[in-house]
Amino acid sequence: MNDDRQAVVIVPCSGIGKSLGSVTREAAYELCDSLRPSETRLVALSKLVLGDAEARERVRTSPAVTIDGCKQMCASKLVRHNGGTVVREVAVFEAFRNHKNLKPEGIAELNAEGKQLARLLAEEIADQLDGIRRPGAEQGGQHA
Amino acid sequence: MESVALVQNKEDNMPNLPERKVGVVSCSGEELAEGTVARLAALRVLHEARPGKTVTICLPLFLAGGEGDRAFARFHPTITIDGCDLRCAARGTEMYSGKPAASIVVSHLVQEHGIDKVEGRRQLNAAGKQAVDVAAQRLTELVDEILGPPALTVLNNPASGPRQPKSGGCSCGSGIPTKKINIDGKLVELLALPLIFQQLRELRRSPESAADELLAMAKIYNLVPPEDEQTYRDTIAREYAAFCQEVSP
Repeated sequence: MNDDRQAVVIVPCSGIGKSLGSVTREAAYELCDSLRPSETRLVALSKLVLGDAEARERVRTSPAVTIDGCKQMCASKLVRHNGGTVVREVAVFEAFRNHKNLKPEGIAELNAEGKQLARLLAEEIADQLDGIRRPGAEQGGQHA
Repeated sequence: MESVALVQNKEDNMPNLPERKVGVVSCSGEELAEGTVARLAALRVLHEARPGKTVTICLPLFLAGGEGDRAFARFHPTITIDGCDLRCAARGTEMYSGKPAASIVVSHLVQEHGIDKVEGRRQLNAAGKQAVDVAAQRLTELVDEILGPPALTVLNNPASGPRQPKSGGCSCGSGIPTKKINIDGKLVELLALPLIFQQLRELRRSPESAADELLAMAKIYNLVPPEDEQTYRDTIAREYAAFCQEVSP
């Protein structure tokens, strides 16, 4: 990608209390490292907690996809809190309802089902990236 | 460790809150391999080295959560573990919750121990795994310094094995009980008030005689402006009287 500002920012919650938080992290890595490395940019949520200038600038100038593990929706809230635009708000617990055979377990090390759920989420987001990056596509608030 | 001493000095007045544990807050920074090290070291201590003695909270909940979440580091002497010099966990905890009792920065530990370059934010290399060992060890030592070393029976107790959080909301250690009360026309959320009421009720303190004690306990967990102390005292006492009436058989 020539213009880095056109990259879509990916912000997972990486919640440390339950497996679904680890699924968000794994999905983000799958998307940013494997599926669409040139079109995405991972931003650490902890930087947005502090309001780090570089991270704020990143979320303010690029469309953001947030991936949250629980109903607190920390990633989504903090992107907005920092002036960013959430174009896709992915909730893993919603995705799990659609894939009940993929029950994630383990936090430090996700089980195979958890990794598969993360891959599915990453693929769904990847399929939507072209639409997200199209001018005027930043509508926000939809669940993947 | 100033904050630990503070907690100990107050113990005589503390209500029966959840068992005193050490808080662990990790940055979990997704961008760097050192963030993964911080996360895995925290999880190892929480689930394996000192289960039952430690509790965690997701760092972003200090902003995205409620007052009960922000009270975390005021209740638990807290150790933060960060991947890099930005120290998001340490600074964020101090900014929104309370001053950490101790802090660890993984990149510093890596340098101190002469560990090779840590790589692989998704899958750590050998140096990264070594860094997890070192960071978890350091974190465990700090937990023991705060709580005192655990008895071997506890360490070897199978019941204290890895915790698997149950379903529902986020299962980190958030959610200190709070109660909103109307003080001089302003709605104020006071931490731990439900537990304070419960404890004094169990001690059979009458609403008429408990006003000073209630205020003293409330002040442990809440900032009460000196000029408003009398109003807080009277209002909390009234709320306690209402509580006692509700729970009376």
